[in-house]
Amino acid sequence: MSLNSYSPTMTPTTKAISPFLDPGPRTRANSLAILQLSRDNLLPVYLQSPTGNHDGYAEGAVVNTRYGSFPHSTMLNVPWGSQIRASKVDTGSRGRKRKREGADDACRDATAASEKDNEESPAVANEDSTAVKKAVADTSGFIHVLPPTPELWTTSLPHRTQVVYTPDYSYILHRIRARPGSVLIEAGAGSGSFTHASVRAVYNGYPAEGQRKGKVFSFEFHEQRYHKMKEELSGHGMDGLVHLTHRDVYNGGFLIDGNSPGADAVFLDLPAPWEALPHLSRRKPQPPFDVKTAASGDAEAEWVSPLNPKKSVHICTFSPCIEQVTRTVSAMRRLGWVDIDMVEIANRKLHTSRERVGLNLNFDRGVNNSARDVDEAIARLTEIECRFREHAAKPRDGDEDMDSADEDEPAPPTGRGATNNDEAPPVAEEASETAPWLEGRLITRGEPEIKTHTSYLVFAVLPMEWTEADEAAAAAKYPLGKEQKVIGAIDKVARKQERREQLQKQQGNGSRKARRKERDEKMGQAAA
Amino acid sequence: MHSLIRPNAWVALKLPSGSTKVLQIAPNTTISLGKYGAFPSNLVIGRPYHLTFELLDKLPDESFSRLRVVTTNELHADVFAEEAAPGCATPAAGANDTVISTTDGEEFSLVDEKGNVIARSNHEVLDENARQTLTQDEIEELKREGNNAGKDVIAKLLLSHTALDQKTSFSLAKYKLLKTKKYIRRFQVLPIDVANLAHWQLEERDASKILDLRAEMIGLVGSWGNVHFGGDDVLLPDPKAPTAAGDEACLPVDEDLLRGRWLVVDDTCGLLVAAMAERMGVLYDGEDPEMEKAEGQNGTTTAQTPAGLEKHQETRTSELIVPETTQKDSDTEMVDGPTNSLKRQNDGKPKQQKPRPSDFAIPYSQTNTITVIHSASQPNLSLLNYWGFDITSPNHPPHPLLNHLLNLSWLQLLKPELDTSYSTPPLTASPEVLASWKPSRRGNFHRKRRRYARIRHVVDSTRTGNFSGLVCASTMDPISILRHTLPLLAGGAPVAIYSPSVESLAALADCFSVPRRTAWVSGSVAETDGMSNEELERWEGNERFPLNPTLLQGVSIQTSRARRWQVLPGRTHPLMTERGGADGYVFTAWRAKPAEGKVAAKGKFKRRKVDSVDSEAATPAPA
Repeated sequence: MSLNSYSPTMTPTTKAISPFLDPGPRTRANSLAILQLSRDNLLPVYLQSPTGNHDGYAEGAVVNTRYGSFPHSTMLNVPWGSQIRASKVDTGSRGRKRKREGADDACRDATAASEKDNEESPAVANEDSTAVKKAVADTSGFIHVLPPTPELWTTSLPHRTQVVYTPDYSYILHRIRARPGSVLIEAGAGSGSFTHASVRAVYNGYPAEGQRKGKVFSFEFHEQRYHKMKEELSGHGMDGLVHLTHRDVYNGGFLIDGNSPGADAVFLDLPAPWEALPHLSRRKPQPPFDVKTAASGDAEAEWVSPLNPKKSVHICTFSPCIEQVTRTVSAMRRLGWVDIDMVEIANRKLHTSRERVGLNLNFDRGVNNSARDVDEAIARLTEIECRFREHAAKPRDGDEDMDSADEDEPAPPTGRGATNNDEAPPVAEEASETAPWLEGRLITRGEPEIKTHTSYLVFAVLPMEWTEADEAAAAAKYPLGKEQKVIGAIDKVARKQERREQLQKQQGNGSRKARRKERDEKMGQAAA
Repeated sequence: MHSLIRPNAWVALKLPSGSTKVLQIAPNTTISLGKYGAFPSNLVIGRPYHLTFELLDKLPDESFSRLRVVTTNELHADVFAEEAAPGCATPAAGANDTVISTTDGEEFSLVDEKGNVIARSNHEVLDENARQTLTQDEIEELKREGNNAGKDVIAKLLLSHTALDQKTSFSLAKYKLLKTKKYIRRFQVLPIDVANLAHWQLEERDASKILDLRAEMIGLVGSWGNVHFGGDDVLLPDPKAPTAAGDEACLPVDEDLLRGRWLVVDDTCGLLVAAMAERMGVLYDGEDPEMEKAEGQNGTTTAQTPAGLEKHQETRTSELIVPETTQKDSDTEMVDGPTNSLKRQNDGKPKQQKPRPSDFAIPYSQTNTITVIHSASQPNLSLLNYWGFDITSPNHPPHPLLNHLLNLSWLQLLKPELDTSYSTPPLTASPEVLASWKPSRRGNFHRKRRRYARIRHVVDSTRTGNFSGLVCASTMDPISILRHTLPLLAGGAPVAIYSPSVESLAALADCFSVPRRTAWVSGSVAETDGMSNEELERWEGNERFPLNPTLLQGVSIQTSRARRWQVLPGRTHPLMTERGGADGYVFTAWRAKPAEGKVAAKGKFKRRKVDSVDSEAATPAPA
């Protein structure tokens, strides 16, 4: 291959596969896990094997949440997805204990005695600092421990910049054809949400020395973010899969040590994509585009394209403002990109709930105690009307009248008149029969706040370069003049004629078997 | 993949009208584009994808149109002219670095390259009768002459429009676009990948066939299902069972080897399977010849058992002949796994002949597989034909899906003893008896034994469970699907279910509602008392609890929609119309492993300090 492909200087990593790509059946020490506290409350944690007193905790490292305390030891070597009970952990005395470190036993006894009245588990204080305390289950709550995925990471990662969320990146990766084996350029690594998703998309094994495998070449301008990201990626076991570079791509371009990454797809999350676009050309761009190749001096002779020369390259740029889009699109047109398409993604989450409306329902939260339908409203009105008439019929006595009216009004229709007596019991029975979680009509509604705009996505394709020489070679390889039949949109007469011939041919060689064989052969040809 | 157009490849031809034609480009044929003309297929074979071709006028001594590659400058010429015009709101990028200014004006005018005003904006009302002066006959005549790829027709049409000079630039652009779509003789060749095929199925074929599965949804389902390359192929050794060996010759399923497997229920004619296979790197067969040359061979290749082996003679070669073309190269690209290294000739027969594996050899990889559960006796995966894979074909040429796509019916999964092909023990025969048979009978014998071994393996390995994820796009009730598939998922495995409408997914999400969960945890189901976790996972459910509500975490429903925009200088806005119909919804969750026994969640009480946090924490954790 003539491709000046990037060869990693690092020796292939012999480390375990990233937990994002193969978490294994159980949780492991020193590996990332996502703790799910509640539906949308996720906490990324590196699980540590307990090695004695950690940060003042006798149980080793502990995660404290509003659902209780969870020592890492209770979350290690359990199947992924396990529900973990909270443990009784002494959270109160650890600050004082640390101050006390190295104090003699007598002193410890003294403090233990004073602790007795404000701590529930004074025994902890006597724990030897090297031994790990066995966690004791508590009843305060539970969490679930989930294997990391780009989706969970996206919702739980530490924000450094605006994050590319799942609805956007799932669509982008689909559209830019990021597949196992693809090489992807990402500029503006940001918080790393897109990086993780794209690693998953292009991953087809860790590359051995000099091997071309799916890989992400990520560029970050901001130095602190770069270092943080670097740390994160090695923590996640993605060293061999992501090549992170600290660079200003507007000026520096996308080459790695002067070599081409050979990218099949590009994702630009930059404030000015049009500044970076000229670097992503097959040839040195023409004058209006000023490519500052300061690094390689006289770049006139040796323009190295960061793109894969053997394929169409797909790109996506991610810009929040329409002005950025128009400039990007304009630059794309001049740089030879085609199939330029701009979309924005609107994603909505839906909550399901039970809508409970009715006069006979209890007064739980979320219950609408008004009439369920017209019949129920009429029944109630009739009842009130009846009662009113009864009252009117009674001999007048001021005070009594007021009292009884107050009493009657809010009471459920448990039957005053003869008509209600017939109706009420079945209603009551029904209510007791249906479980509370089955009551009411099932409805869906949007979440309280929706993201109405994330960014505009501009997609485009840069076809392979095709020269006169290539064309001549292809023309020689596939010469004209032997055309036998017509395919595609052919007129009715021709199609009929073809069908007739086909039928004759089929009758000729008869059996189903022969037809099947013919079809298989055809498929063989197609596959070849 | 998809660098040059290969002979006999399936491609999509995008026509100026916006419509797409999907066809298999056979060499030495003529491809007809209907009213746009016809050209020999050999003029596009071996050329790159995504180029725009223009049909040239026929040469006097030739019966076909030759093609010309249209440069991108030519494609975007109209926009460039607009950008060059003074007063354009969005000047060309790179031309000058002025800040984008809003247009100062009420006046829009269109100027051609020489500065002549072609069209202007004024408030004159266009004459109702201002029309095309060319008659239909004249237009037909122009088309027949068919010069200059239809550009002459368009130019003449524009010139003959009496009110052209009164049109605003907007209406002129629109008019020109309309006429261009109709007359320009250009097309583009796109590769058949999942995105293009899905788009074509949705927009031009029967959208209901693929359950209105839009690109956004394919992306979401794949992401939330965490579908990705599931590890290098691991193939089971050949048991080398003699023909007289029966049942016991089947290899037992090794649970530890099973990794990176996804469970699928697909009623989209195979589009979902194709999308997953694409994400797992097992959809595309073969590379370009040049690329293939560069491919290396790895250890697993020798253990490879292509299903197309029936074609081979029974000759046994003692050693494997490594094809000369296959050599180690620094640019190795093993996109589609080791199947590629098996060389083929055009007739689909492998060049080399491998020793024939025994009937009980399992062709499937233990990792990176898709297991399709289907409701009919055969799965409907017809769309996979576009990628050269036909699940019904017994003698299939090599294809990566052969080793990575497993399928079984619901009956085989849930009641395998009722399935004949699973429960009938394999035929046995001594080699002497076998030798006395006619070849056809012998072939049948081997075929049945192979089928038995495969079905055994697929059913047994599927029932072992521990799947890495479940992805669904089905017309069946998702509750019933989950009832039987949830026990098969590994802990923490994601579930992603697509449905064109929200109702069935809402009903499913309601099975995991907080009140129902709370009721379950507090032990309101008498019949589950004393059940172990294992039994609870496989519990059949009752009317009040169709599913065990503790088996899924993070239940959520979402929908996504891509809104397309037109981006032109000064005329950027969302498209006026788009495809309606089903929005499409995705249900997502993770498989949880509930703790054994009762789990209390009374919240964390602090004894001394009473603050607002306490009251919050005192409610049961909604997780």
